[in-house]
Amino acid sequence: MKRILQILIWVVLASVAATALATIALHRGEPISATWFVLAAVCSYLVAYRLYSAFIAAKLLALDNTRATPSERRDDGRDFVPTNKWVLFGHHFAAIAGPGPLVGPTLAAQFGYLPGTLWLIAGAAFAGCVQDFVILFCSIRRDGKTLGEMAREEVSKRGGFIAQLAVLAIMVILLGVVALVIVNALKSSPWATFTLAATIPIALLLGVYLRFVRPGRVLEASLIGVALVLFAVVAGQWVADSPAWAHAFTLSGLALTFAIIAYGFAASALPVWLLLAPRDYLSAFIKAGAILSLAAGIFLVRPHVLMPPLTRFVDGNGPVFAGKIFPFCFITIACGAISGFHSLISSGTTPKMIQREGHARFIGYGAMLLESFVGVMAMVAACAMPPGVYFAINSPAQIVGAAPETAAQTISSWGYPLSAVTMTNLAHSVGEQTLWNRAGGAPSLAVGMAQIFSTTIGGERLLSIWYHFAIMFEALFILTVLDAGTRVGRFMIQELGGRIWKPFGRLNWYPAILLSSAVIVAAWGYFLYQGVVDPLGGINSLWPLFGISNQLLAAVALVVATSILLKMGRLKWIWVTLLPMAWIVVITMTASYDKIFSANPRIGFLSFANGLAAQIATGKIPAAKIGETQRIIFNQRLDAAVTAVLALMILVLLVEAIVQWHAILRRGRESVLHETPYVATQWAEGD
Amino acid sequence: MRASYKTLKTAATHFWQGLREWCGDAAYETYRRCATRAGETHPLSPAQFYVEQLNKKYSRPNRCC
Repeated sequence: MKRILQILIWVVLASVAATALATIALHRGEPISATWFVLAAVCSYLVAYRLYSAFIAAKLLALDNTRATPSERRDDGRDFVPTNKWVLFGHHFAAIAGPGPLVGPTLAAQFGYLPGTLWLIAGAAFAGCVQDFVILFCSIRRDGKTLGEMAREEVSKRGGFIAQLAVLAIMVILLGVVALVIVNALKSSPWATFTLAATIPIALLLGVYLRFVRPGRVLEASLIGVALVLFAVVAGQWVADSPAWAHAFTLSGLALTFAIIAYGFAASALPVWLLLAPRDYLSAFIKAGAILSLAAGIFLVRPHVLMPPLTRFVDGNGPVFAGKIFPFCFITIACGAISGFHSLISSGTTPKMIQREGHARFIGYGAMLLESFVGVMAMVAACAMPPGVYFAINSPAQIVGAAPETAAQTISSWGYPLSAVTMTNLAHSVGEQTLWNRAGGAPSLAVGMAQIFSTTIGGERLLSIWYHFAIMFEALFILTVLDAGTRVGRFMIQELGGRIWKPFGRLNWYPAILLSSAVIVAAWGYFLYQGVVDPLGGINSLWPLFGISNQLLAAVALVVATSILLKMGRLKWIWVTLLPMAWIVVITMTASYDKIFSANPRIGFLSFANGLAAQIATGKIPAAKIGETQRIIFNQRLDAAVTAVLALMILVLLVEAIVQWHAILRRGRESVLHETPYVATQWAEGD
Repeated sequence: MRASYKTLKTAATHFWQGLREWCGDAAYETYRRCATRAGETHPLSPAQFYVEQLNKKYSRPNRCC
């Protein structure tokens, strides 16, 4: 009887998921309630978790709870620490949830709500969660080895090298693009700039408190810090209202660029306890609070999604970024569906802290489902505002026109009615000077979040506070990614440099610290700079490049996973990792080809560069602008070269893996696995 | 009533313990327990342990995009 009831519950959940998905897919004309999105996502996740992850755990991986995990065998209270599965889930989720699942869906909303929502749900269930889960399992069986180490051992030395290069490439491009998102959010906004600037002295204060006053008392220090940051959000309004202070904190894109580059250098070179770690604590608490609040807001308000399911920009001429749904929707939404970067977390701290192999399903698969849900909520927030407003915030001036009236006319001519007065009133009500041309995703998401929050608490009166809270929340944890990533990049450069000249690899030698910090900051700083001076707003070029590099890393992870599973003799179920891998390779290669060779200058780097070169040759560019144009041409060719190198890396790795798989299959027996030997757990069931 | 209070108290205690573990507050206590078990004669001080943990944590990718 109990069994029948269980089956019935899952049948009902699956039916609700199917109905909700069909409703959001087939709905036309009138706005649709966000409740359908929540139902479609939550019920699909529950069914995927109950059925697909259980199938992977039992058939593909054969998780073994009698086998001692690294945290049991090597428990040292430092790196290897057995951790409660709920606590570890929180750790893992805090590590994988970055700005990607918020910004990506917001940008992809230009296609309409449908393509992005379907990719977020299906991509997570069949690709992203599978990658995180399988890599976590593989790392647990190898004493917590990293993705690079596993690639070297299980695929080839070249595979390991490619994984290492991919990590460095993604790091540089990621940091450049997320910094660009911050610049576009803070540009000409004294309130937001002040709030974010205030988090630096607050973090320094916490750093000193945690190091010298109450060492390691993170909870109390973070609570003090969060209170101070919330006060800074309110104080930002006073700054914006004071002409002198507002002038001091109104910065141009270039000024912000150099400020962020200087900040990144400081965060990398200063002791970690002083600035980086306390900022991370602040960010973690505010991130958890903001995501929970957004979820609660959507449940309570149940806003109507005003964006149509498909917009006219499915044709590839979108103003936010150019390119058709295939492959660009799948490149733009990376982290909410599948993110190669997660494989670094799944093969980092988490496998060293997991208590039981069986917990890998809940932590690896489950945390990624939650991340996908964050992406769906971001999609709802972005699509809940009138489409005209969405396009006004996210379109660069070069496409819609610099004057508000012209821009409003252009956007209205696309079929999304908008008046210049609407934008002026909206900017005024959120406490900004302007909301036109704020590409990057952060301001439009903040408007969407603020509207949801203000409907729940405070109404129109608190809209400006909520908007700046949302901007602060996004910028705070983007800066956390930026400073943590810069520091890791610095270590990678020191490691590589140390192979050539040993002293350079010493982590406590200040000349090496300063030089390597300067190198990594210059690398991402250059991408940031080119994004800021890009006439199309930067996001159009850099976000796809980030998506390609992130998916490249996902392809590396899935190749490693497939190789290991083949060696384990799991040929029958190999499609579980092989199909998502093939899909990722296809979208990455197609996007790379389009970004390099497309004849549309808004898509193809080379055609854009060649078009500008032809304009110089025919004298269409004024003499005063020739230097600037030549720099843009150089940047476009550099982006083409970077994309080509990334695509080449995928091809090399793929060929390498296919040769190995062929050898394994021809021999028809299990190959040498580099697993740690089986040791039976000493813990009782339920520990 | 008493049973509900007890359940609530247990849940609150677990939540508090989980929160302390999640944010790192309890890390030093865990380390000291482990050091005692392993017979370490000169365990690290709270400040030394805190800095050592941070240096390790931020030397590898620990925050995703």
